[in-house]
Amino acid sequence: MTTSLWRQHILPFAVILGLLAAVTVAGDFVLHRLGLVWVGRYLGIPGTILIIGSLIYSLRKRKFITSGNPKTLLQLHEFTAWLGSSMVLIHAGIHFNAILPWLATIAMGVNVVSGMVGKMLLDRSRRHVQGQREHYNLRGLSRPEVEQAVFWNAVTLDAMTKWRKVHIPIFIVFSVLAVGHIISVFLFWGWI
Amino acid sequence: MSRILKFILAANLIVLAVLVFVYPNLMVGPGKLIPGHKQLETDCFACHFPLTGADSARCVVCHKKADIGVLGTTGQPIAKPLTTTPFHQKLLNQDCVACHSDHAGVKRFRSQGHFKHELLEAKTRAECQSCHKSPKDSLHQQITGNCSQCHSQEKWLPATFDHNKYFELDRDHNTRCVTCHLVNDFSRYTCYGCHEHTLDNIRRKHVKEGIRKFDDCVECHRNADEDDIRGEGGDRKHGDRD
Repeated sequence: MTTSLWRQHILPFAVILGLLAAVTVAGDFVLHRLGLVWVGRYLGIPGTILIIGSLIYSLRKRKFITSGNPKTLLQLHEFTAWLGSSMVLIHAGIHFNAILPWLATIAMGVNVVSGMVGKMLLDRSRRHVQGQREHYNLRGLSRPEVEQAVFWNAVTLDAMTKWRKVHIPIFIVFSVLAVGHIISVFLFWGWI
Repeated sequence: MSRILKFILAANLIVLAVLVFVYPNLMVGPGKLIPGHKQLETDCFACHFPLTGADSARCVVCHKKADIGVLGTTGQPIAKPLTTTPFHQKLLNQDCVACHSDHAGVKRFRSQGHFKHELLEAKTRAECQSCHKSPKDSLHQQITGNCSQCHSQEKWLPATFDHNKYFELDRDHNTRCVTCHLVNDFSRYTCYGCHEHTLDNIRRKHVKEGIRKFDDCVECHRNADEDDIRGEGGDRKHGDRD
């Protein structure tokens, strides 16, 4: 059981988080070595766009949009949020200037960790509802329909609902701080 | 989300928003300002226009173009100017932020105040002496003007002028510049500045060879070797006639 917990949850969690840190440090190092530090400054833009793009899954989950395979969109959500976060982390660099963008960066980090906890919980929930497959099969549902039904059951499981109560406020704090940073950049920076 | 949690969240974010307006330098400013602008730290719009950033129009409100490098913003003479000659008045573009950044965080990304001669008006660029004094060594004391023959506007050294390209200064011609370049005018030269060459003996020698065009000596003679004679467009011997 202990081995299973380690292999199924803790190890992937550590690998994804470690990879994020490694990509950030490597990206920052390469930009410094190539004299392209200014590129890091603009990486905040594609990073933010990717994070915003990752919210398509959230819209699909809340039925604001009805098309798209939720499972694929969740995978896309995880990947684009991870990639966008790594870009934003390189953008933040290790330069401590203003407080607001750093609060936004910390909130983003907490958001990423929370998202990964959610991913871990969802995995557990999915295992928990595995037994329902047979039930849906017996009802004569097609395979994609069974997959979707099991997926929705997993994401609406009690543990996931409780997790979402934490994840959403974290996301709201991150969004507000990020928007504050973006507004201040637009307000004071000369884009023209 | 519970009502209490919503309230706590909103309260925190409102506090942060208030802090942004009370301490903009700490909350959103990209690092400390230069010491000279310390008093402007909480007044972002003293330098920044909303949505277009820091603008030279705001700089010249305090820093009058004619006074830059001469007088401070209070009208007092600058005790230790950074450059011996004020040059901002002679810049092609009066774009302050192209060279200057005041925030520590921005300075890291940009080379500060990196002067280039290309930034100057063409007329000023051609008049080196309007900013630079001639060095006191024996060579430069003989020369007036034409600095660009030896020096580039990128760097003072290396001085790239190669006299041999025009005429080799062998032991018979290792003389003062003014012997050939009268009044140190390096755009012209004469070979009749010494006792060896006179117009009469040169004319006699050339006419004897059937050469009538000999007013521009270095066109054919790039050194003192009488057998190494080059004409316009290729090698030529004295035997070639006009």
